[in-house]
Amino acid sequence: MGVIKVLTGNYSASEGAALCRPDLIAAYPITPQSSVVEYLAGKVHNGVLDSNLVQVESEHSAMSVVEGAAYAGGRVFTATSAQGLALMYEPYFRMATLRLPMVMAIATREMTSPETIWSGQQDAMSVRDAGWIQMFCDDNQEITDMVIQAYKIAEDEGVLIPVNVCYDGFYSSHLTTGVDLPLQEEVDAFLPPVHFNHATLDPDHPISLDPMTPGNLLMKYRRSHLEAMKRVPEVVDRIDKEFGDKFGRYYGGMISEYRIEDAEIVIITVGGMTGAGMDAVDAARENGIKAGLVKLRFTRPFPAARVAKALEGKKAFAVIDRSVCFGWSCGPMYMETKASLADAADQYCHFSAIGGLGGADISTDMIYSTIQKLEDNKETKTELETQWYITE
Amino acid sequence: MSYIDVLREAEDQVTPGASACQGCGGELILRTVLQIAGKNTILGVPPGCMAGAGSVGWNFNSGVRIPVTIPLLDNCASLFTGISQMYQRKGREDVNAVIVAGDGATADCGFQSLSGAAERNEKILYVCYDNEGYMNTGYQRSSTTTKGSRTSTTPLGSVINGKVQHQKYVPLILSMHGLEYCATASPSDMKDFVEKVQKGLAASKKGFAYLHVFSPCPTGWGYASDQCIAVARKAVKSNMFPLWEKDENGYKINKVIKDPMPIREFVQGISKFKKLTDEQIDSIQQMVDTRYAELERLAGKE
Repeated sequence: MGVIKVLTGNYSASEGAALCRPDLIAAYPITPQSSVVEYLAGKVHNGVLDSNLVQVESEHSAMSVVEGAAYAGGRVFTATSAQGLALMYEPYFRMATLRLPMVMAIATREMTSPETIWSGQQDAMSVRDAGWIQMFCDDNQEITDMVIQAYKIAEDEGVLIPVNVCYDGFYSSHLTTGVDLPLQEEVDAFLPPVHFNHATLDPDHPISLDPMTPGNLLMKYRRSHLEAMKRVPEVVDRIDKEFGDKFGRYYGGMISEYRIEDAEIVIITVGGMTGAGMDAVDAARENGIKAGLVKLRFTRPFPAARVAKALEGKKAFAVIDRSVCFGWSCGPMYMETKASLADAADQYCHFSAIGGLGGADISTDMIYSTIQKLEDNKETKTELETQWYITE
Repeated sequence: MSYIDVLREAEDQVTPGASACQGCGGELILRTVLQIAGKNTILGVPPGCMAGAGSVGWNFNSGVRIPVTIPLLDNCASLFTGISQMYQRKGREDVNAVIVAGDGATADCGFQSLSGAAERNEKILYVCYDNEGYMNTGYQRSSTTTKGSRTSTTPLGSVINGKVQHQKYVPLILSMHGLEYCATASPSDMKDFVEKVQKGLAASKKGFAYLHVFSPCPTGWGYASDQCIAVARKAVKSNMFPLWEKDENGYKINKVIKDPMPIREFVQGISKFKKLTDEQIDSIQQMVDTRYAELERLAGKE
C-alpha cells in the first residue's frame, strides 16, 4: 500500500521516475513538459533523490547526455515535448538502435507550424518508426505506474529497447488527480538494479562502439531489433500481471477494453481522450447502441493481434487520432488499425476521426457523433470519409 | 621527464593501419594526445578525418587500443558529459574522458553542445584538431577556414575569390566559458603541445579542458606531404596561430615572436592561398594583428 498524493500528470511522471532511482537525469525545459524536470530538480537539490542532474542547453544535448551515461551502464531519465523531441531526433534514433534501455516521458504537444504550444500527439506519432517502444497513458495513476513498468520492460534482457511513456500535454500534464504512489521499498523489490553491458565503454574492457558497419551486418542488427519488438507484447503482459499482483492495478497489457464483449460498434482511442470516449460509450448504451471502446496503450510495437481480436465479430469501428498521417487522408492509428486487419477490414464499416489538434478539445459529444455515424452505417461494410472534429 | 622521453616511453594507442593521408597533422595530434592520455581513457572521435582514418574501427577491427566511439557530429561534448558523470558517480574519477574532434564538429555543428559542456565545467579533455575545413568530405569551408581560402564550397570564381569571411576564433570564445583550462597548441612546438596535453588532462579531473591544435592538411590545403611541421611552424611564427593558454592564473602567451613573419610569407607555397589578392592578404594581416593585440591585452602586455 502506497501513499496517496494529489499530483499533476507531470509530477506523476517525476514521482515514477524518482522511484526508479535513475543514475542520471538530463533535460531541457519545454512547455508542457518543464515541470517534470523542475520537480526532479527539487528532489535532487533537497537531497531527497540521489541522481546526477544535468541542466543541458538543448534537448539534443539532453538525449546525448543520457545516452553517454547509458554507454557507462547507467539508468537514465529525461522528458520532452514537440519541438524538443524533434530536436533530439538524432541521438533519439541512436539510443534505440544501440538497444540502450531508458525511459523518456513525452507530454505530447502539437508540432509547429502554425505556431502552437498546445496539446496534440503529432510529436510522438511522428517518431513512431525510430525504434522506441511507445505507450500512451490516460490518467495520472497510469503515468506513475507506467514509468516504473517501462524501466522493467526496457531493461528486460529479451527486449533492451528504450520506452516513451506518453501522455497528453495540458490535459494530463497539468491536471491533478489523486495518485497512489508505491513505496520505495516496493519499487525496489519490483525493479532490480539496471544491468546491461552490450554497449559499454570501459577501459577495463575496451571496445569500439558503433564503428563504421557494412550493410549486411547492419541488417542483422535491424532484424534483431524487430525480433525484440515482437517479444514486447509478451513482456508487457507479464509485467502488467506482476505489477498488478504487487500493487493491485492491472492495465490490460498492450490494449485495454471497455464494454466490448457484446458491442457492435467500437471506437478506438489513444491517450487522454479515452475518458470522454468511455462517457460517450455509456451514453450510447443508454440509447440502445451497442458501443464499446478499445484504448491503444502501446502504439509501438503496434498491438495488431490484440486489436484484430478485439474487433472480431464487430460491425463497425472508428479510430480517433489526435494527429494526422500526412500522405493518407486519415490519422496514423486508423491506418495501422486497418493494416492489422488487412483484408478483413472489408467486413466492417469504418472510418478515421481526427480531432484535438493544437489543444482543441475532444468532447463526449464529438465522440458520440462518431458512434452515431457508425451505428447509422454499421451494416454497410464500407469505409467512410474521415471525420474532423472541427467546430464552426 | 623531458617531452621527448615522455613520447618515447608512452605506448602508441593507435593501432597500425590508420589510413590518414601521408603527412596528416591530425593523425600526429591524435597519436600524441593518446600517448599521453594512456590506457585508462575513453575516447570520442566524431565523424571527420580521424574517424574516417579508422580510429573507431571498421567491421570487427578497432583503430585504437582503448575504448572508443564515434559521437554524432554535433554531440561530442554532451555525449561525453554523460560518460564522464557516470564515471565520477561510480567513483572511477581516474578514467580520462577525451574527445579528439575536427573543427566542423567543434566550431560549427557541435559548437552548441561544446559551449554547454564548457559552461557546466564537465570533466572532459576536448581536443580540436583544426584543419580549417571539412577535409574528410572533400574540403568544404568551415567557420575556422581562413579568409580567401579556396575550398570546394568557396571556389575561386570570377566574381567571388575564395572564402569571404574571416575565421571564427574558437579558442578565445571557449576561454570565456569559465572552464578549467584552455590553450592553443601546434605540432611544430612539441614541448609546448605535450605539456599542454598533460596540463589539460590534469585539469579535466577538475573541470572542462579545451585544446585547440593547429592541424595542417597537405591534401586539402595543397602542399608537399613532408611540409606539415614547416607549415605549422610558419603559422606560429607569423602569429597566424599564436600559442597561448588560460588557466587559474589568467591568460599567458607561451611563445612570443619577436619579429613576426608577414602573412604574405606564411601563405607562400600553400595552394589554397595561391590566388589571394593583395587586398585579401592585407585583410588577413590586419585580422592577425588585431587578434594578437587582443591576446596581449588579455595577457596583461599592452
